[in-house]
Amino acid sequence: MSKLKTSKFGLGLAAGAMALGLSTAGIAAEHASGFNGIGKNITEKAIEPWDISVFYDGTNLPKGSGSVQAGQEPYDAQCAMCHGAFGEGANGYPKMMGDPMPQFIKSLKQGLDGVGNRAVNNAWGHAPTLFDMIKRHMPFYAPGTMGVDESYAVTCYVLNLGMIVDSDFVCSDETLADVDMPARDYYVTDTRPDVNNQRCMSDCYDEAPKVVGAAVTGVSQ
Amino acid sequence: MSETTLDQTPQSDAREGVASSDRRKFLRKSVALAATGAATAAAGNAYGDVKLETVTEPLEIGSTRHILGRGVVSVPYGMPSKFEKDVVRRNVSWLTADTVASISFTPWQDLHGIITPNGLHFERHHAGAVDVDPETHQLVIHGMVDKPMVFSMEDLKRMPSHTAIHFLECPANGAMEWRGVQMNSMQFTHGMMSCSEWTGVKLTDLMEYVGVDPKSTWLYAEGTDGSALQRSIPMEGAKDQFGEPLPAESCEMYKDAMIAYAQNGEALRPENGYPIRFLLPGCEANMSIKWLRRIKFVDKPLVTYQETRHYIEPLPDGTIRQFSLVNEANSVINYPCPDYQMKGKGAYEIRGIAWSGRGKVAHVDVSVDGGKNWQEAELVEPVLSKCVTKFKLPFEWTGGEHLIMSRVTDETGYVQPTLMQLREVRGFNSIYHKNSIQAWKIEKTGEVKNVQIENF
Ligand code: HEC
Repeated sequence: MSKLKTSKFGLGLAAGAMALGLSTAGIAAEHASGFNGIGKNITEKAIEPWDISVFYDGTNLPKGSGSVQAGQEPYDAQCAMCHGAFGEGANGYPKMMGDPMPQFIKSLKQGLDGVGNRAVNNAWGHAPTLFDMIKRHMPFYAPGTMGVDESYAVTCYVLNLGMIVDSDFVCSDETLADVDMPARDYYVTDTRPDVNNQRCMSDCYDEAPKVVGAAVTGVSQ
Repeated sequence: MSETTLDQTPQSDAREGVASSDRRKFLRKSVALAATGAATAAAGNAYGDVKLETVTEPLEIGSTRHILGRGVVSVPYGMPSKFEKDVVRRNVSWLTADTVASISFTPWQDLHGIITPNGLHFERHHAGAVDVDPETHQLVIHGMVDKPMVFSMEDLKRMPSHTAIHFLECPANGAMEWRGVQMNSMQFTHGMMSCSEWTGVKLTDLMEYVGVDPKSTWLYAEGTDGSALQRSIPMEGAKDQFGEPLPAESCEMYKDAMIAYAQNGEALRPENGYPIRFLLPGCEANMSIKWLRRIKFVDKPLVTYQETRHYIEPLPDGTIRQFSLVNEANSVINYPCPDYQMKGKGAYEIRGIAWSGRGKVAHVDVSVDGGKNWQEAELVEPVLSKCVTKFKLPFEWTGGEHLIMSRVTDETGYVQPTLMQLREVRGFNSIYHKNSIQAWKIEKTGEVKNVQIENF
């Protein structure tokens, strides 16, 4: 029945035999680090193929370049089916171009819907990490398969769709960090907690509760 | 919008304070309250006045009584009863273009404890779940360290282990409800959160081993899936890309982090990062990088896709909030809830779950009258840091309308806010970290509905 060849009896014998040869030396080692002899050292050179992350300021951008013009063909072939010819989105996939910055900010201030609008031209703060995302994650069906120059070119084409760079611009490890992203200066770092509710226990408010409830979607299956 | 007259009685008097710290006193009091109610009822007994049906038909012999059941290991890896087939993860088809860059929800309405069974843990992928071979998988740690190192799965399992129970919550949990009521199901209002026992290697142990440079103020973690998802994680002294310091509490979170290889005692599930994931308790779950392949110690944030386009919060003052990492305290009643109807008048136990990314749950208060009066619920042990805590409170439903809700206070004194308080400071477009008090309305018909209260 069991694929294991040991019987209860056999196990007992084995354990007994092992006990004879055991040393207790390792058990009570006083300065046991718990890590002695574990793992391998590795050179940064050996890590290079994995060390692909680009920082917002352009640190670690790979050497290479690609123009807006060079980006059109690969964009139309590999991106437009999901993101639209002009970055407007297609087949339910995310748009890459939303409201321009002034309109986006106006929507926020007026409480209009801005959520579905977040995009390259109103939310991305830094061009180098746009390159990083496109190079590592796109095209969606074959992530990370574009070459360095092609990725620069497609990034450049996307930036041009957003009217962030001119149509004669060349994106490279030297130019991307200086691209002015419309959203950059709107960012502020977390300041929560930003609300201060009190633990009221009784008579917390007077009026009748104004109830809104228009939920329509129940459990789907 | 409708104005509602509500029944204010959870058992007899909502204003009656209940000391949940003393469980026995609590129980005695509940019984006493019930007895008071019964005394006023004509045909009452010690348990109340609801008239019970009487069964007179002789009982049938069940179909399982005269057959042989399945042998052991006929199901080598056990599955839930076939009658539990509806207790599954679900997704919302209109939320994303496909299921590959998408999210599914945990059915908390059907769970009874604090642990999410592994097959029900919510999923969030940016390029789908992948099958990573543990024989060949490696974890690299490098950057500002004395010794750049690489570890196999065997290596990680040899190291001193660390086990803890923690929740993971997507910052989009509840996001569909910012503008108004949308989902009439607890699974969809709160299911982007799950809680498991995790085992792995503590990040701080590994940091000591590879010798992290004290000048390193950030680290980042990266996965080996198609999105190679990456997130920057702050440490003491971390500043954003403009030189502004991150909140001190965010810079402490890495101390609880681990490289997890086990979830509820077995290997991680592929959907949750098999064979290893980063686990950053208390922070938005996308930082707990799945299919982890690399950790690099650095002195500035990357400001990745996730950090400048995705998990950001546009605010009504025209600014965009970044690095809002900590999951603030949240709670919800999962019984009763909109996924089920009330089954007749009489006794129920209001039950729910509460959690905080800042530490332990200190109190949970329950209201049955739309937040006018509150009563402290009993917390069910264990009460652990950055972990789901279960709470309960007896409730007598006399057939009236109720607005039931829970409100957690965590050990830092932070009190769960109302939706109106959140909207006042964050507007309608901040999407993430919606941790407001959730109201369910019990109708006279016994229906339970998701509602919002505009003046609370
Ligand atoms: C099969 C559909 C598909 C194709 C083809 C595709 N993408 Fe995407 N793209 C997606 C999806 C899905 C996301 C969201 C991914 C996520 O959730 O992380 C996305 C996100 C993006 C974003 C972020 C958009 C934002 O919201 O700011 C950029 C930029 C992008 N893709 C660029 C490209 C480029 C460039 C190409 C062509 C090389 C491409 N994509 C091809 C599906 C696609």
